[in-house]
Amino acid sequence: MSGRVLHAQLHLLDRQLIDQSDGHLVGKVDDVELDLDADPPVVALLISGREQIPAGRIAEIDTAIKITVGDLDLDYYDNWIEHHVIDHIPGAGDATE
Amino acid sequence: MKKVLGVTLGILTAIGGFVDIGDLVTNALVGARFGMHMAWVVLVGVIGICLYAEMSGRVVAISGRPVFDLIRERLGPRTGLVALVASFLVTLLTLVAEVGGVALAFELASGVNYLLWMPLAALAVWLVIWRVKFSRLEQVFGLMGLLLIVFGVALFKLGPDWGQLLHQATRPHPIGHESWSTYAYYGIALFGAAMTPYEVFFFSSGGVEEKWTRRDLFTARTNVFVGFPLGGLLSLAIMGCAAVLFLPAGIQVGTLGQVTLPVAVALGKIGLAIVLIGVFAATFGAALETALSCGYTIAQYRGWQWGKFVRPREASRFHVVIIVCLLLAVLTLLTGVDPVKVTEYSVVFAAMALPLTYLPILIVANDPDYVGEHTNGRVLNAFGLVYLALLTIASAAAIPLMIITKAGQ
Repeated sequence: MSGRVLHAQLHLLDRQLIDQSDGHLVGKVDDVELDLDADPPVVALLISGREQIPAGRIAEIDTAIKITVGDLDLDYYDNWIEHHVIDHIPGAGDATE
Repeated sequence: MKKVLGVTLGILTAIGGFVDIGDLVTNALVGARFGMHMAWVVLVGVIGICLYAEMSGRVVAISGRPVFDLIRERLGPRTGLVALVASFLVTLLTLVAEVGGVALAFELASGVNYLLWMPLAALAVWLVIWRVKFSRLEQVFGLMGLLLIVFGVALFKLGPDWGQLLHQATRPHPIGHESWSTYAYYGIALFGAAMTPYEVFFFSSGGVEEKWTRRDLFTARTNVFVGFPLGGLLSLAIMGCAAVLFLPAGIQVGTLGQVTLPVAVALGKIGLAIVLIGVFAATFGAALETALSCGYTIAQYRGWQWGKFVRPREASRFHVVIIVCLLLAVLTLLTGVDPVKVTEYSVVFAAMALPLTYLPILIVANDPDYVGEHTNGRVLNAFGLVYLALLTIASAAAIPLMIITKAGQ
């Protein structure tokens, strides 16, 4: 993405985050943290819910932002509901017919 | 063949979105009170929904992002939240009305009270969402909903004075004892019924479910320009039937049975059977759409995994929202509230939420970041702005008119 000007408010904030490995939707960019010591200041972290995503994990910025999820626990609440509610209903793991 | 079936998304959106319980009730009610003197509102509504559904279809085909993703991105988290709460509550209220409509259709067919059918109807809606593939759901309910064409057949069979209907349609003013304020109130209700926000939530999310890409632009547009005008014609037929049968007799429409009565009068038992299946398909299809839309709006605002294109356990929060909304719908209906009254209020509240839904679509359809070279042209933007003004006026006038007319009495 060299040479492309990104506007933090327009291109980062509130944008959809996608797991690059499987295309799953993993949250929104709630906030952006800048590294003001750098010159010019650069984006250091994307914040989504309680997780902080280092800028190095950003793989692609388009109409959504693809990231390398790795060990980030972005699915915490989804997994909690999955284990406590959804998995108790028959057919939760089946693809629809 | 795939293209033909692809159009069913538009037909389902049109039948289940354009002609849902809101349109069945509102069109019959308006036809009985004002004849065809309000037919022009249906026309204005169809053009409006075509305009904005085309924009949202184009945005989703090219950017892959559905409407509520963009509402938060373009309005910011705060205003986006206001839009979310408003659209979600309206969609939930519409879901209550649709589930009630399904149960009422069963009551009309069986004679067994709708309150007994209602939990079964809600359970069936959930089961279909849980188990049935998205494209199958569109095809089955879209095609079954086409049975509502029987309203058109009934209108011909009733042998109306066509010249008089046309005469009414070209004179947009209240008649008899009706005042301008009730005329305006029902005009807004009809407009709200035609442009209900969940139609674009469902249509654009459906585009993602169907994995539309820019090659599907044609499908998206065909859906819009075939589906919604077809829904508009059905609406006019429903209005016409009521205008012919009820207006001269001075009968007001207050039940679903009265909505279907003109078909029974014109075509007898077979007509009644067909129209009841059609009403069932339309309300059941709309119940599916509104239940899904409740999940779509919240999940897309929060960035959760959503959709029927993944297994339920991969989108657990999305499915929990749908289950909770269906439970809320059942509980609301168990209080014994009249589903037809819920419907009448839901379309007016829908009118109030319209500008917040449609403004972000207009903005994004002009943003090359999302749609590349496919941004709106000047003419389209001019129309878009005119409609935005109309939506804002309708939205602002809805509550004052509701108070002045005591909700249309």
